[in-house]
Amino acid sequence: MAELIRPGERDEDRHDRTRLVPWVDFGRIDSAKVLVVGAGALGNEAVKDLALFGFHHLDVLDMDSVVRSNLSRCVLFREGDQSSGKGKASLVAERARELDPELQVTAIEGRVQSLGPEEMKRYDIILGCLDNVTARLHMNANAYHARVPYVDGGTDGFRGRVQAVVPPMTPCLQCGMNRSHFRILERRFSCTGQDTVFYQPKRAAEITTTSIIAAVQVREAVKILSGRPAISHVMHYDGVAGTSEVLALDIDPGCPNHAPAKLS
Amino acid sequence: MVVRVRVRNAETGATVDMELEMENTVEEIIEGVSAYWEKDPGAYVIRKGRRLLRGQQKVQELEIQANEELELIPDPEGGNR
Repeated sequence: MAELIRPGERDEDRHDRTRLVPWVDFGRIDSAKVLVVGAGALGNEAVKDLALFGFHHLDVLDMDSVVRSNLSRCVLFREGDQSSGKGKASLVAERARELDPELQVTAIEGRVQSLGPEEMKRYDIILGCLDNVTARLHMNANAYHARVPYVDGGTDGFRGRVQAVVPPMTPCLQCGMNRSHFRILERRFSCTGQDTVFYQPKRAAEITTTSIIAAVQVREAVKILSGRPAISHVMHYDGVAGTSEVLALDIDPGCPNHAPAKLS
Repeated sequence: MVVRVRVRNAETGATVDMELEMENTVEEIIEGVSAYWEKDPGAYVIRKGRRLLRGQQKVQELEIQANEELELIPDPEGGNR
């Protein structure tokens, strides 16, 4: 019996146009379990893009609540959220469901350090939308050991970067770090002898670069889940010059995440 | 043996020439030019062509030609505020 069709029925499928991209594995996108770490500027954009692209299983982790200065970069936050008593992760989950009612999204109000390799094995891919080296190193190492692809984004004013880490083939975040990264850690944690003080500097941030970097993170997730090669290995974006370049990085033989025993 | 390279500041376009010993590391290049340009505290990386150099790499491993240009790039770490 011939297949029955109706005029205009393709327009009833919200993902019809995206399905026209021939290499996207929509079955995989639909079933993949994604963890977004950080529900701030990059996290808002990433969750928006994931929901609109057709992902249906998201967890969003963040321990913070909204402040009014977030509103210039966070598409899912609203005026008044800062006094709602709800955390960023819960608000992002709530608003993402408005974008797609079929989206199964869970908010995790907690610290990055609460996730170890066992928790990360639950996911098909992890997006890092963080703002400090400490949290990045934690996610990078644990995702690498769990063998879960990790796509990290970072911004500073009109500059940004994206690194796709696909264990065990690619270099990881730590492979590309040097003393200038670790000096930041030393400055952030100043020990008074009795207590450790955490210093979080205010950094330039704006929505256009945030949107671009989060979009590239989601696109890399789509590529990896669809079986296409990710960028090799780090994309640096310069919004003032209007340029982006993908730069290669070698695995650091001294990086603890690539010790021979762990590569087996 | 000493090799002279040119380092470009990706943020300003400024350049400076630097004399390097074979034993110098990429981290020492970053620290040298960051101090010269009085860069804000932050993370930086060095690129050579389309390749990012690792901090612990020594000049002798880099196959640097005389007067070759390297570039100092900020490594952004924000995004959740």
